[in-house]
Amino acid sequence: MQSTHAPFFKVLIANRGEIACRVMDTLGEMGIASVAVFHHSEHRARFVLMADESHEITGETPVAAYLDGNQIIEIARATGAQAIHPGYGFLSENADFARAVSEAGLVFIGPEPGSIELMGDKITSREFAEEHGVPVAPSVLTDGDLGTFIERASAIGFPLLIKASAGGGGKGMSIVNSAEELEENARVAASEAERYFGDATIYAERYVERPRHIEVQVVGDGAGNVVHLFERECSVQRRFQKIIEEAPSAGLPEELRERICAAAVRLASAANYRNAGTVEFILAPDGEFYFLEMNTRLQVEHPVSEMITGIDLVRMQVEIASGKPLSVSQADIQVDGHAIECRVCAEIPERDFIPATGKVLVLDPPEAPDIRFENGLVEGHNVTLSFDSMLAKLVVHGGDRSNAIDNTVRALRDTVLLGVETNLDYLARVADHPAFREGALHTGFVVEHADDLAAPEPDATDRNAALLAAALAFREFRTLAFDAPDPYAAMNGWRN
Amino acid sequence: MSLKLTMDGAAFDLDIVNLRPELGVEIDGQESVVIDHGTRDGVRTVVIDGRQFEFRQARDGNRVFLRLGGRNWVIDLVDPRDAALEGGSAADEIRAPMPGAIISLHKEVGATVKHGETVLTIESMKLQTNLVSPRDGIIASLLKSVDETFEKDEVIATLETEASDA
Repeated sequence: MQSTHAPFFKVLIANRGEIACRVMDTLGEMGIASVAVFHHSEHRARFVLMADESHEITGETPVAAYLDGNQIIEIARATGAQAIHPGYGFLSENADFARAVSEAGLVFIGPEPGSIELMGDKITSREFAEEHGVPVAPSVLTDGDLGTFIERASAIGFPLLIKASAGGGGKGMSIVNSAEELEENARVAASEAERYFGDATIYAERYVERPRHIEVQVVGDGAGNVVHLFERECSVQRRFQKIIEEAPSAGLPEELRERICAAAVRLASAANYRNAGTVEFILAPDGEFYFLEMNTRLQVEHPVSEMITGIDLVRMQVEIASGKPLSVSQADIQVDGHAIECRVCAEIPERDFIPATGKVLVLDPPEAPDIRFENGLVEGHNVTLSFDSMLAKLVVHGGDRSNAIDNTVRALRDTVLLGVETNLDYLARVADHPAFREGALHTGFVVEHADDLAAPEPDATDRNAALLAAALAFREFRTLAFDAPDPYAAMNGWRN
Repeated sequence: MSLKLTMDGAAFDLDIVNLRPELGVEIDGQESVVIDHGTRDGVRTVVIDGRQFEFRQARDGNRVFLRLGGRNWVIDLVDPRDAALEGGSAADEIRAPMPGAIISLHKEVGATVKHGETVLTIESMKLQTNLVSPRDGIIASLLKSVDETFEKDEVIATLETEASDA
């Protein structure tokens, strides 16, 4: 007879890389066996080796394999797993998958499919937020008549952000500063939206200049209890993707923090939300904040919230999914210090952050009680373009923000990851930048400070040392430099 | 004996000018005395002109990755055989740095371009990247059109060969 106190005895992780390893760490601590699924291109990856059992999944591309829900559910059933943890990305916000998991008699470690659908749609989630008193940026949607759209949009006031309703990735997006610009841009945006997404619907919303990205970690048990784990600041972004996140946010007035966290809890409560989730907001310089979206899954940057609260979010997800009520109350959750996460990516910042490929040849992350190096790497790991360029997350804690920054800069400098180009040095320059230290953050931070953040011209002594060090790595050079017998050393042609 | 290395697009010649009593290497006309203390626990120690440097290294073919002085360095060995080819076609082509698709063409065939000027924009891994001209010249051909896909290292555009007797 099974005599474990664990809510499940076996869980399949429908994901890969660092997040699969992260989930397995907690499953291991809870005495739950883990099942990994992998594409053959990653058969020697760390998450495959770390799992109690690993099964291959197939697909036209590695990503397609992870999007094949039926195949993954089949493996879960065949292995006797009782639940599936989706991680982030892939199937984590796919309501049909969540439903199929339940229909297969398994537990989806996530929210009700209805919550995924509600929050997964830009328009319905916005309306839901508005209904429940969560502020949204003033906006208008096209109704087929461009003339009335322009009139209604102008009434919001400029600047305005024009977006494709079905859009993403910056396509069909523009900022307009006057009524004259609006007409032309709305026409272009609608035609781009039609071309890219097959849907000409566009909307205009108030454009917040120098916005900050503030998000609140919430956890609900679906039985009426919702708590927050305070906010995170994710304003440092490149190409619309976060690269440095921190908790709590930099210098947010206490009263504003309380209002933002309360708004997030109100939204999650209204949805009777079950699972860990994140409510994202745009914060304007004047202190106004607007609902952006809610992510109904574990977030990449969840460790910073864990570090300041001491709460294991994956454990909470697993317990809640098994039907247990929330094990903490809001009063139990306190902030201890400050945490910063840096996303270590295989990319070349000097070349507009294009992804880099290679092989992890040397990996030696710093080790300390206040450092988490979340990764799915092993030496010899091939870095390809099949998946996202994020290799690891360096998460660092400090007594306060300034201390956390010092620790982060040191940890970045102490991280050895060789064999593929990375943004490690770039991240260190961001974290060490005076404006970052001051907390003068907004989502255009890396563009505003691009000149300061460019790689400095190396000191000539260091540069020559690097060249000599590199030369020593080549046998051709070593042979000539050190292995030459004495007579050779005295041969003509060498200056003595 | 000369070794040619490149770093961030710049080329450096390393000449061994002394073997005894200590290794002497000249870089850009500046001579340095190098003592290699070898590797311990993955950390290599080298003393250059009396100053000690500790670093980590990894080699992948003709490329060396270093962690030295608190930063990463990527240094390539220029194989003399490759160097011989360089004068020819390399500067006449724009190749794809990774697989992807064409987003937009900024120049037409016959257009004059400056070194570093954007010729076309590609998208790969959801990221858009501008590909620039490797030198001043005239666009001879654009081998892909908008939305067409390509593989890594595929030639996407060419420049007219410069007249050798100009």
